[in-house]
Amino acid sequence: MEMSASDAARAGIAAGTKSRTRLISLCVNGEWHEVAVKPRNMLVEVIRDTIGLTGTKASCESGTCGACTVLVEGRPVLGCITLAVECDGKQVQTVEGLAEGEKLSAIQEAFLDQGAVQCGFCTPGMLMSATALLRRNPKPTREDINKALEGNLCRCTGYNAIVDAVLQVSGQGGVEPVME
Amino acid sequence: MIFFDFDYERADTLEGAVALLARMPGSARALAGGTDLLPGMRMENIKPGLLVSLGAIEPHEPELLADGSLRIDALSRLSSLENSSLLRSKVPMLAESAHVVGGNQIRQMGTLGGNLCQETRCMQLDQKHDYQFVAPCFKRGGDCCYPFPRNKHNVCWSVYMSDIAPALIALDAEVEILGQAGSRRIRVEALFTGNGLTPLSLGQAELLRAVVVPPAPRGFAWGFHKSTVRGGLEFGMAVIAVALHLAEDGNTCADARIVIGAVREGPARATAAERSLKGAVLDGKRLAQAAAEAAKEISPLPHHGFTKRHLTDNIRVYLRRTLAQAVERAGGPGRSS
Repeated sequence: MEMSASDAARAGIAAGTKSRTRLISLCVNGEWHEVAVKPRNMLVEVIRDTIGLTGTKASCESGTCGACTVLVEGRPVLGCITLAVECDGKQVQTVEGLAEGEKLSAIQEAFLDQGAVQCGFCTPGMLMSATALLRRNPKPTREDINKALEGNLCRCTGYNAIVDAVLQVSGQGGVEPVME
Repeated sequence: MIFFDFDYERADTLEGAVALLARMPGSARALAGGTDLLPGMRMENIKPGLLVSLGAIEPHEPELLADGSLRIDALSRLSSLENSSLLRSKVPMLAESAHVVGGNQIRQMGTLGGNLCQETRCMQLDQKHDYQFVAPCFKRGGDCCYPFPRNKHNVCWSVYMSDIAPALIALDAEVEILGQAGSRRIRVEALFTGNGLTPLSLGQAELLRAVVVPPAPRGFAWGFHKSTVRGGLEFGMAVIAVALHLAEDGNTCADARIVIGAVREGPARATAAERSLKGAVLDGKRLAQAAAEAAKEISPLPHHGFTKRHLTDNIRVYLRRTLAQAVERAGGPGRSS
């Protein structure tokens, strides 16, 4: 719907106006949610605080660390710098949507095999970025993986185990799983 | 998390967005990818009363025009530019410059127009209020540049960090701007004022509609380099874009465009260095001379912990290598020494 200037005036757009709350629909991991949001609410806040899926982490909250990465319409985006209203009517996938019931997804298993998780705070974002990469490119090279994960910071692992995990799930080795 | 309220409208067309922006001059901002605007709002460097979302407007695919130039929708995502086979073949420097922006998520979200319209940055400014100085700097309405209080002209020393703008200027591209009076076309260079407080020459209710890159002339060669500390997910300490036109013999330079980004309030042309290359045979010595000349004339602003000396050296070394890379691509005699 295109608004003319007078429509905008009637809607109460003027300096100092408190923004109105609006109802949006989000399809998170296949389930539709109707949530009331203010324009200033970020997607990660709505996912964590309103919908209650706390797997997605909010860390830097300024778009520099990638911990809040979720897939919106299949694209990896940063939930901390995406307005929730912008996602009205869209498909969102979070880390909770990767496993099927008790069965972990291949990339989650690979993270466990390779010891790619230490403190775990970056892991949900890493998993979502890796998932988006593998859907687009099932046989990524090490360089492709580095490029796809460059937006996700990890202070623990030194990244190698994470890259190995992505290589493992793409059937290109990685190191032999250490754990029995 | 943003700590203040603002209103939000979603435009269906660019014309509709311009009309909405015009309702609140000075207080309305257009929201495309949001990767620069929303962090700026979180830091409260920017406090708009209204965001006009362009998220519902689908960008057109890049289009090859009759005269051979390429028209790229300003709402194109950076990821679509870096992965476009048309761009990779016709304007590889533009695809490369989109490829080095931010991290993958930033490129999936951010748009070409948004990248060009990003705010200037400063390490001290782009922090949460708690860590800010006791008094506001120029950008926050104060009367001093706190990081560099004795800078020469007592002005804001924030730096324009777009990776794509230097490439577009080297390619001699133009931008199509849509305003209330219709659209106008200017060269990308004219988009920048050189003033850290108001870095863009756009009017209040104006939006970028498209970027038009002219066809590459015969003998075209390019080089691009972004200097960073980590090699990913960061702003450049210096961005170098070089476009050379080699004469028929393949050795002599017919024309040169050298643009350095991320070291001043806008991308800077190294015109003296360009002049020194024109008509010259591009051997290693000549390239090194031109790079030294450029480093001298650009006069980089210190930023993000890098001193002027460091940045000058960076430009001198990497411009020489980038020029050599361009010549090498064209199969010429230049070698980095």
